[in-house]
Amino acid sequence: MFAVIYIPDFALQAVLRHEPELAARPVALLDTPERQTVVKQLTRAARLAGVTEGLTPTQAMARCAHLVMKSRSLPQETAAREVLIQIAYNFSPRLEATADGVVTMDLQGLPLSAVDETQDWAMQIHAAFARVDLNAQIGVAATPDVAFYAARCAAPVLVVGRADEFVPALPVEVLEPTPEVFGLLRRWGIRTVGAFVALGKERVVERLGLDALKLFRRADTETVRPLKLVTPPETFSESMDFAHEIETLEPLLFVLNRFVGQLAARLDVLGLVVAGLDLRIKLASGEIYERLFEVPAPTSQAETLFRMLHTHLESVRTDAPIVALQLIARPSDARAYQFGLFEAKLRNPNQFHHTLARLSALCGAGNMGTPVREDSFRPDAFRMETPQFESPHATTTGDRYLNMLDATAVGGAFPGLRLRRFRPPFHADVELQNDVPKFIASLRLNGTVEAAAGPWRSSGYWWEQSKLWHRDTWDVQAGDGTLYRIFCERGEWFVEGIYD
Amino acid sequence: MQTNVVQLRELLREKFPGVRMTAADPAEKAAAVWPTGVATLDMALGGGLPKGGITELQCAHRSCGSALVLTKILDQIAAANQIAVLIDGQDSFDPAGCAEAALRHLLWVRCRDAEQAFKAADVVLRDANLSFVVLDLALNSPAQLRKIPATTWFRFQRIVEQTMTTLLVVTPQKLVSGADARVVLKQRFNLNALDRTEEELLRALRVEGEVPRSGQRSETMAAEAG
Repeated sequence: MFAVIYIPDFALQAVLRHEPELAARPVALLDTPERQTVVKQLTRAARLAGVTEGLTPTQAMARCAHLVMKSRSLPQETAAREVLIQIAYNFSPRLEATADGVVTMDLQGLPLSAVDETQDWAMQIHAAFARVDLNAQIGVAATPDVAFYAARCAAPVLVVGRADEFVPALPVEVLEPTPEVFGLLRRWGIRTVGAFVALGKERVVERLGLDALKLFRRADTETVRPLKLVTPPETFSESMDFAHEIETLEPLLFVLNRFVGQLAARLDVLGLVVAGLDLRIKLASGEIYERLFEVPAPTSQAETLFRMLHTHLESVRTDAPIVALQLIARPSDARAYQFGLFEAKLRNPNQFHHTLARLSALCGAGNMGTPVREDSFRPDAFRMETPQFESPHATTTGDRYLNMLDATAVGGAFPGLRLRRFRPPFHADVELQNDVPKFIASLRLNGTVEAAAGPWRSSGYWWEQSKLWHRDTWDVQAGDGTLYRIFCERGEWFVEGIYD
Repeated sequence: MQTNVVQLRELLREKFPGVRMTAADPAEKAAAVWPTGVATLDMALGGGLPKGGITELQCAHRSCGSALVLTKILDQIAAANQIAVLIDGQDSFDPAGCAEAALRHLLWVRCRDAEQAFKAADVVLRDANLSFVVLDLALNSPAQLRKIPATTWFRFQRIVEQTMTTLLVVTPQKLVSGADARVVLKQRFNLNALDRTEEELLRALRVEGEVPRSGQRSETMAAEAG
């Protein structure tokens, strides 16, 4: 048995996949086959309004004033083809990409014996495509060709039990005769496939030529042609070339939201989740802005994925308008997630990731994270790293050194009061008396020094001029009792922080 | 997703704080506070920082020991294997004064002023992953703090009640309207304190605590030792 998935008006559906609300409205798809733009495909509402294939845009608008016109989009047709094969592969591993919008599946080995079972199975396929906003018709029959005819007649599913009764009743157009042959058959009064076959092969070939042989081959209800099997593409991508340049965020987010929904739905149908996203924005200048997003906890929830992109794009500025957009999803198996009993685990890693993104947008990427002390005696030597609260904290050789620094502090603990730093240290004018600071004048600290201890001399990076530091540090108590750390470097005084 | 009974009980307790888990639950009161690891502070607070509430740590003077207390609290949180968020109102935190384990459990948000710090707090408090948040405003100027509307604290209170987050606010003056607990560090350390160990300094802390409870009399305690 074979099943055919048929997407009617494939090019139009490929375009409307991201705007499903237009499917009920009069919409015409324009194409330029021979230097003239004409209507190629149209929705049912447009057809009822009197629009037909082959009309020019002006003629079409004259028939329907509310007609929405869309241009054909090859990138979106490519994406729709990927969707078709990927979803079909979920139902049968042996399939053929027969034509644009047509996939033929070999059902050999599938446990479908009864007609009801087959009908239910085919309805599942229809529902899977509905989730990605594609209207699919499914036909099931004993041969690929009959299954194709069934798919074209299905509403939305048709299982053909007796092909020898089904095919003869079909209109002769399904055999796709050339316009000349079709006109001739009409004049002969031949309306159905059965009537055509009844003419006799030899007599028809004698009259119409070898082209008629193709028509008889198509009317054959018993021959099973071999399928040219394909494997599904491994990319999950949505893309769009914009008709007009986009200069603001809102229209970009509108399209992006649709893309995320489509990709999440596509992967969800296959039992997969999104582990990462690759965002590519093409600018009018020709540049491409690209950003990779890792999803901390792979998910198929479109809202979570979209929020991640939205938060990032709020802080992006481009030098030129946007002309095209592509979003590629990296799939992953959905995994079971177990909370740890003893480790600090994040309950919702995606929410935490979103929080980090918002904090990064608010304070700046370098002003948020986990501080890591540098392997250096230079004051205030640290770097900021992305928090890794989910990772195990094994002690490495580098960590051992830092732990040793902890341990060598007085009494095995950090000595005394901690320092609240001024970043950067602010300049001060210090008056010395007997080489001891006695008076400080600066924007934030003015007054006499009641007590002072020091100096403690420290230096480092003597081998690299650009990083060399050499300072004399003093601990002072100001007139109001506050304890400060000040230092002198290259003849200039600075206030480093407050002991607290 | 699987959770064992202990995790499930904790989740239920956090989701429905008023509901008793057993017929007699004397540990419930102890579980409602977060010990700071500083004895004088815990004594003044009646056990520790209230979970799902706001505690104000007011610095009566500069050099009163608030940064020292803060690092001890971060150590305590790391020892409990929890994540702490430090929203630094004036980017004054010094990683060199903090243990490595505490740093690894720390999310440090470096802000340029009080307004940015409050916006960051608004973001962080809404993340249910983060159960302990410190908002350090000790070095922010009175002019910056005056711009923050008092209603901000009521909004924060609603959020932490729902998420059961512990919010500790370090302030240079009395600031938090309707705090669930308030502690004033009254000690003023002199230059000699720089030669003392942190245990000696913590013992020398002068602390005045106030833990107002709705419908109950407020308790004012002072702890002084050493």
